[in-house]
Amino acid sequence: MEQSGTSTRLADAVQGLTSELVSALRSGGPFALAAAVSAADGPAAVRVVGADAVLPSVLRRTPAGPDDLAVFSGAVRAYPPPPGASPTSVWSHWAMKRTLLRLGGTLDAPHDGVPEHNGSPEHDAEPLATWLDGASWQSLTHQLAVLAPLAVPGGDCAVTRVARGRPVDVARGFVRAVRRRDWLQAAGAGRWLVLLDGVPDTLGLEAGLAFVAQMGCADPRVTLQVEAARLMRTGAPV
Amino acid sequence: MSSTEFLTDELTEVQGVDVEAALDPVEADGSYRDSRECAALALTSGSTSLLLSPPTPRPKKG
Repeated sequence: MEQSGTSTRLADAVQGLTSELVSALRSGGPFALAAAVSAADGPAAVRVVGADAVLPSVLRRTPAGPDDLAVFSGAVRAYPPPPGASPTSVWSHWAMKRTLLRLGGTLDAPHDGVPEHNGSPEHDAEPLATWLDGASWQSLTHQLAVLAPLAVPGGDCAVTRVARGRPVDVARGFVRAVRRRDWLQAAGAGRWLVLLDGVPDTLGLEAGLAFVAQMGCADPRVTLQVEAARLMRTGAPV
Repeated sequence: MSSTEFLTDELTEVQGVDVEAALDPVEADGSYRDSRECAALALTSGSTSLLLSPPTPRPKKG
């Protein structure tokens, strides 16, 4: 299907940002979000990458720079979920706000003097996860993979609680994604599985993730999920 | 509204639609491996056995 000009630009910007994030996660070096995105397409790319746009800071528990937080906050403000938005969009936006506030950022626009938010994570009501009630294991895995940025240590929320209750279903979804060669879904599901208890040992998750990394290495979005899983699994400072 | 402002607004609006689409992607079409190919890949990927598991049901068409 032919993509529009803006969607192609957006896809390119997302690929560029995720490549920078992968480099930072692999090297352990500093990551500057503000330097990794352009002024034109950066906010949209950050909104699509979601909370993972500051993943190095989240996983290493290191502070993000004020410029980086400003870029992140700008993306949150620029692209709120519109009325009737998908649950994944709503949850992604909520996760960005929670991450921003945990990193010490603010949702206030600079210099506007009108706070949009009081800065308290508790102030922002958690969305409902009822759309996952009764979801088939295939659909659940797809939705969780799209929401992979929610899979972080200590990231308790309604979606993570659903995932915790269905580890075998997510494991089945991981296998299905591998067999369908859907490397992005497999990588996202694998990231969730790293955080879940009750995953069958017979799954061979570690080797499976290595396989996904190898087969999906052409897509930095896949590599980002695998690197996140690896860091959470091996216990790099998370 | 100047033409530049109009163009900027239009671009932002289009991009907003694109952002929402990117945040709610449909599941990618998958291609299932046959068992021999899976077995070969499993052998080359270490000790994993997931690819040797029975095939998952194919989605019904129609």
